Amino acid sequence: MYGSNTMPLDPPTPDSLPVNEAWQPLPPDQWREDAAAHLLRRISFSANPAIVRSILKHPIRRVLSRFYGETRPLKTSAACEAFAASLPQAYFELYNTIKDPKERRQRRQQLNRENNKFFREFAMDWYAHARDEANSAQEKFVLFLHDILVIDRRKVRDAPTLIDYQHLLRKGIQTTYPQLCKAVSRHPGMLIYLDLKESTAQKPNENFARELFELFVLGEGNYTETDVKEAARAFTGHRLGKRTIYSFNPRAHDSGLKTIFGQRGRWNGDAVIDLAFQQPAARTFFIRELIKFYLTDGELPHEAYIEALGEQWAAHNFQIRYLIFTLFESRLFFHPAYRGNRVKSPTQFYIGLCQDLNLAIVPFQGRLLQSMRSMGQDFYNPPNVRGWQYGQHWINSTTIRARRQVVDYAFSPLYENYLNGNEKKALADARAANQSNFKISEDRLKPLLAQSNTALTQHLCNFFITERFRDTYQTRVSELIGDTAAKGALNRTRNTLMALLQSPAYNLC
Amino acid sequence: MKQPDPSLPLTRREFLRGASGIGFMAFSGFAPAFLARSAMAQNPAPEKDRTILVIIQLAGGNDGLNTVIPHVDDNYYKLRPNLALRKGLLPLDDHQALHPALGGLHRLFDSDRLAIVQNVGYPNPNRSHFRSTEIWETASDGDSYHSSGWLGRYLDNTCSGTPTPEADPAAIHIGDITPQSYLAEQPQAIFGVQAKGRRKGRRTLADHAFEELLDTEHNEGNASYLQQTMLNTHITERRIETIIARYKPAVPYPKTPLGNALLRISALIHADAETRLYFASQGGYDTHVRQLNNHARLLGQLSDAMAAFQADLAANRKDDQVLTMTFSEFGRRPAENGSRGTDHGTAAPLFVMGKNVNGGLIGSAPDLNLRAKQDLRYSTDFRGVYSTILDQWLQSDSTHILGERFNPVPFI
Repeated sequence: MYGSNTMPLDPPTPDSLPVNEAWQPLPPDQWREDAAAHLLRRISFSANPAIVRSILKHPIRRVLSRFYGETRPLKTSAACEAFAASLPQAYFELYNTIKDPKERRQRRQQLNRENNKFFREFAMDWYAHARDEANSAQEKFVLFLHDILVIDRRKVRDAPTLIDYQHLLRKGIQTTYPQLCKAVSRHPGMLIYLDLKESTAQKPNENFARELFELFVLGEGNYTETDVKEAARAFTGHRLGKRTIYSFNPRAHDSGLKTIFGQRGRWNGDAVIDLAFQQPAARTFFIRELIKFYLTDGELPHEAYIEALGEQWAAHNFQIRYLIFTLFESRLFFHPAYRGNRVKSPTQFYIGLCQDLNLAIVPFQGRLLQSMRSMGQDFYNPPNVRGWQYGQHWINSTTIRARRQVVDYAFSPLYENYLNGNEKKALADARAANQSNFKISEDRLKPLLAQSNTALTQHLCNFFITERFRDTYQTRVSELIGDTAAKGALNRTRNTLMALLQSPAYNLC
Repeated sequence: MKQPDPSLPLTRREFLRGASGIGFMAFSGFAPAFLARSAMAQNPAPEKDRTILVIIQLAGGNDGLNTVIPHVDDNYYKLRPNLALRKGLLPLDDHQALHPALGGLHRLFDSDRLAIVQNVGYPNPNRSHFRSTEIWETASDGDSYHSSGWLGRYLDNTCSGTPTPEADPAAIHIGDITPQSYLAEQPQAIFGVQAKGRRKGRRTLADHAFEELLDTEHNEGNASYLQQTMLNTHITERRIETIIARYKPAVPYPKTPLGNALLRISALIHADAETRLYFASQGGYDTHVRQLNNHARLLGQLSDAMAAFQADLAANRKDDQVLTMTFSEFGRRPAENGSRGTDHGTAAPLFVMGKNVNGGLIGSAPDLNLRAKQDLRYSTDFRGVYSTILDQWLQSDSTHILGERFNPVPFI
């Protein structure tokens, strides 16, 4: 009963894995199926055996270059682009030309309705985009950046601004982290989210300066209250016209002397970001976040590893691609202690499930968005400015129930007669776009029964769970499936597969 | 293959012992931690008349100066040219008044059911939402870091709180996020009640397969944690949902998220659940911009929900068992900002509600004679409030849980 893989594995220490080796690329002879599956599960959402085989034909660096190559943008509809183009004028009229309070209220409501409509459309487009295996790694990295450089829908509201901000992050993969921070500090989404648009020389608002230091670049304890107050003065003067258009107003900017991190000067916002990146903490803060997102939701690796990578990263001007390539092909990344024990985020759980089962994203907006919300990852709405917390924080009685329901739903019939008008239309549209696989039907399960019990058990365990759990699960899965030729085998297989997808092992990657 | 009983067992005992139950206890070498320990524990007699604590979090940082208003202090109006409230204030004494939206709480104040502890904070205030929330929930002094919450440590400290297989959860929270206050060093039976109800159907064959897979060993961190949570959820959810679905409150509750949350808590208290700790949260208090209407709406929802809850408890004669306390990670700056809002500040008042409270204004009001950009200086340490609750309401040992002795605050 006791599988060797379930024993806890000690994380590496500088004694067992010297610091200068930890960030070296994985030796080519270790670039095998288990390693490739680990890479795919961690940097994207699932490890389809066919894709595992295809990436093994190339060195890791080539694989990474392909995943993080040219930015693959999210396509939005023509209607959505037209709405984005009309938004500044709509706000101009709302703020300036419409005097009648009743009409203004109506216009505002209409704008809200359109924003909601295009936001939901955007959400659906994003899930479909991320579900495409060619985009998964890129979009997972967008999720990571968004979890640091947080803005949310609750406060920003305008769908076009949210879409554009997400694209800024997507392009950010190809730039340096300081440059990305500077771009973010001028983006309308951030100007709204952290109140920069309200911040003037007379009344500086500290929100952005504080989060820049605490959550984007340095971390708690690496700056003083004075640094925040002075930096807030430097970030004054950003204005937002018509709620959509950035400009800099020198008259609202405090150009006086400020002392930040002990350095005195007439710093502006960009200069503050440069000063922050001169702090030693900037070398390691982002790396710790990256490691928490991709490598482990448990204890962080030994500080010596993190500091060594920080030195290298700083020497490469905080280039994001340099950092992620170094991490994702490193020996530390593939260390056995970091395999198969990370709790999947709800987004990974859902998109990974669709990829694993070869299902299209369910075309019903309300259902999908509600599922994500109950699993604890409301699209574009992290709980607060700190973003989502990972690991065991994803798991509680409520979210676990929601994950089980997502699996139940994938295995239940579509019940087309019970769909409402919008859902029927969405389904017809999806089918017209050549999508049809929304459910696991009996027809899709039947071919599995051509195999023996042993072969089917191995197939399911290899496909869906990591090597860590295979030994312990195989016995039980085999018992549950029983004879694949005997009566009831289809039902037993279906129930076993559902249970496997609801099991602790499938919730880990 | 054994056929499962179609109905889901309602207690852990049934689950463990019933014909359909799965053999957790028999499984050599491993059982979920709370089951393993409870097998050794002395089962205490159920204590249904124990005191209960309900915590309401006002997330985002509630503006204390516009909650309990120092309306005769000229400084208040100087600090808040746009945000000072002048009309409809609900008087507490000659100097202080409640926000006009807090009518329900004001009536409770007048009938001695509400204590208002003024100007509560801690020595080195932190203005980050997360850190300050963490300081409050872990009962830190602002400089030290604790991995467990103050109520989690209370659970760790209370022998009789050791979960038994058939016990109700030790602590319940409403909604998706387990509050940091509940984080404990030892595994504790903590349950999140869904904010919206859902009825689960009969136990299916797929459920049975799921139970079989749960019954394999998962003896590592995250896997074990998942297994325990899944098991606990599986058993507890149906029982609790039945209780909530059957409950008919004595008074109507406002149809707000907080109203729904307190209604659920009332249902569980009414059903004599052994749970002694409940936690609900109301968000939206981070009022940096144009706060007047938003803040009034939030306080109105808070007051209406708390008043309904207290009336319901009284009608069911449970009010002498329950103490309800609010907290927020910080108050806001005394001076308004340039956006008709307020930025993150320090001390603020909090409410303690119950039949057994010493109603009234407790502690001293903040001194508003401040220079520009100066913050309030707290006069009551929040850990003093906790120590009073731990010692005098939960009959525990606050020194052990908080690490030092604090002066009690006379609201009980």
